[in-house]
Amino acid sequence: MVIVELRDVRKVYPLGKVEVEAVKGVSFCIEKGDFISIAGPSGSGKTTILNMIGCVDRPTAGLVRIGDRQTKDLGDKELTTLRHETLGFIFQSFNLIPVLSVFENIEFPLLLGKQRMHAKEKKEWIDYLVEEVGLSDWRRHKPTELSGGQRQRVAIARALAGKPAIVLADEPTANLDSGTGEQILELMKKINREMQTTFIFSTHDAKIVELADHVIRLRDGLVIENLRNGADASGLCAEGGTRAAASAAGA
Amino acid sequence: MEIFRLALRNLSRQKKRTFLLGGAIAFGLMIVTLINGFAGAFLTNISENFANLAAGHIFAQGVEKSASGREYELIRDDSLLLAAAKEAGIPAKYVTKVSSFDGNLVFAGHTARLTIDGVDFATETFLPERLVFKEGGLAGMKDRQGIIISDPIAKRLDVRPGDRLLVQLKTYSGQNNVGEFAVAGITPDPGIFGSMAGYANKAYVNELLNIGSGEYQTLGFYLPSLDGMDGYGDAFYKAVKARAAVFDRDAAKKETNPIRAFMNQGKNETWAGVKYRVYTLNDLLAQVKQIAEVLKTSSLVILLVLFGIIMVGITNTFRIIMYERIREIGTMRSIGMQRAEVRNLFLSEAMILALGGALAGLAVAGAVMAGLSMVNFGLSSPLFIILKNGHMTFRLDALTTAFDVLVVAALTLVSAMLPARKAARLDPAVALRTVK
Ligand SMILES: Nc1ncnc2c1ncn2[C@@H]1O[C@H](COP(=O)(O)OP(=O)(O)O)[C@@H](O)[C@H]1O
Ligand SMILES: [Mg+2]
Repeated sequence: MVIVELRDVRKVYPLGKVEVEAVKGVSFCIEKGDFISIAGPSGSGKTTILNMIGCVDRPTAGLVRIGDRQTKDLGDKELTTLRHETLGFIFQSFNLIPVLSVFENIEFPLLLGKQRMHAKEKKEWIDYLVEEVGLSDWRRHKPTELSGGQRQRVAIARALAGKPAIVLADEPTANLDSGTGEQILELMKKINREMQTTFIFSTHDAKIVELADHVIRLRDGLVIENLRNGADASGLCAEGGTRAAASAAGA
Repeated sequence: MEIFRLALRNLSRQKKRTFLLGGAIAFGLMIVTLINGFAGAFLTNISENFANLAAGHIFAQGVEKSASGREYELIRDDSLLLAAAKEAGIPAKYVTKVSSFDGNLVFAGHTARLTIDGVDFATETFLPERLVFKEGGLAGMKDRQGIIISDPIAKRLDVRPGDRLLVQLKTYSGQNNVGEFAVAGITPDPGIFGSMAGYANKAYVNELLNIGSGEYQTLGFYLPSLDGMDGYGDAFYKAVKARAAVFDRDAAKKETNPIRAFMNQGKNETWAGVKYRVYTLNDLLAQVKQIAEVLKTSSLVILLVLFGIIMVGITNTFRIIMYERIREIGTMRSIGMQRAEVRNLFLSEAMILALGGALAGLAVAGAVMAGLSMVNFGLSSPLFIILKNGHMTFRLDALTTAFDVLVVAALTLVSAMLPARKAARLDPAVALRTVK
């Protein structure tokens, strides 16, 4: 099942008097439960694309669909709710909240918006996540007391707290040494398999691209390769697109 | 609640900055609270002290007018007034009957002008109970011509107890007269109002005024407290009005300076016999009351001015805080924090700051007031009139204080509002890529 669809997406940034076309018409689809890499050199448009999938930015032209929702039609409030309920975020520089402990950082998304979990259930779930990312002995520590790898583990657990369908990670290993980076990616892959969470991560590191089921390669704001399990994946959209169109017509 | 907790944690990040801002808020409220506390007690203290100086809270004078148009203040027979007081139910603690004149004291080439009150030291307890002496004492008043004067007057005349001095005055009907006094006692400087008064035996004062021994000029009722003064004053006025001619209290109240208008009411009238003038301490102190009101109003103005300055600081600080945490805001927005929640986070921080600062300000003001109340300025302090037994006192009105705290909270919120809204409106993508 296609969970993310980009169709003819363009993004133009105004830069002084000129305009920079960061993404120049990109289309691809992503299958639910996959471990996807958006690969490409610096400046190729990875962050821009992840921001648009993550609903923190809007395309200048084209369509972005998350699940069954066209993001074009949504206002800020609805987009925020969509991010809260459907998406998880992992950042290159971790972006933890410095005044909160490991446990509190992971719990934070659950304190926003409508509360769905009971206190006991919530605590068990956070405890499980803390365990899952291997930080049981660090739950009371503040981010500044942790190493880079540990911080990114907290960020992974935080991204998972709201049980999102999709986790987005923009160069999650760029601020880590290669050994730690690999461990982080292994952890993400493990969770992807265990929880069926779709992971989309960007990287310019050829080595870690190999772990992905689906690789979308960018250059200068264009897709130059779109391979899923070694085969061309542009067909995914036709299938998903028709299904979405059919369900829209049926409704 | 969670936002509140996060706000609390955020404030603890830069403790120095939080203390500075909270301290500024505390300082502002402290100053205003001190002024209010002072103004609250100011009027009470002045009233109480003035009641002691004037020997009463409610007064009556008899005024006669001669064929030549002169006004004489004289109560020949007070049975009418006392009956009226009884009817009005005045719970007088003391009844004082004062004869007095403005006289010129002369001693060895020095002169001093002062009001001399006649007191019956044998029967009246009010004044003797309150007099404190620096030199000499009540014993000297056994001399019919004894006089008690205050220190500044004694210095001016260069006299000591036992010295005899001359007095020039006008009798009740305006004739020049001369008498002689013997200094019995010298009281400490009672401040701006008291330095003008001296006390002598009523019998001798009456003799100098050329009035009968049972006659006097002002009848005063000293109440157990300041409460009810206006009510009893009105009732007494009505009761006197039912029995005799009176000066119109209500007409005078419409004038810009009511007490002066009231005292001068007889100027352009003629009447036969006695016309009574009834007034209260509150009437006399109407202008002082205005000063207290002005103080209270100015405290609010000061609060607003101080906060105008503090608000600039709060706004700037919150703007800095916003830039410091811009990536964090982007992160929280990505994770699913709504704009309103971001705004509320900042406003919560401002609110905690305001209430914490206000509480601290009130506490410090309380401590300062307690400290100042303990200082004994002495009965001879020139500030005597605004003190209570030589101590400063403060009285805070709960409603005014609550209002000031509310103003402080509201102004702090307003100051933080702009940066808070700006933070809430940040585009998450822009916030996330901002490198500080
Ligand atoms: N806010 C911006 N304003 C102007 N140009 C931008 C902005 N963000 C990105 N770009 C440009 O868009 C292109 C793609 O950037 P980006 O998506 O960050 O690439 P990547 O993440 O692959 O390094 C680059 O040329 C970059 O300079
Ligand atoms: Mg990037």
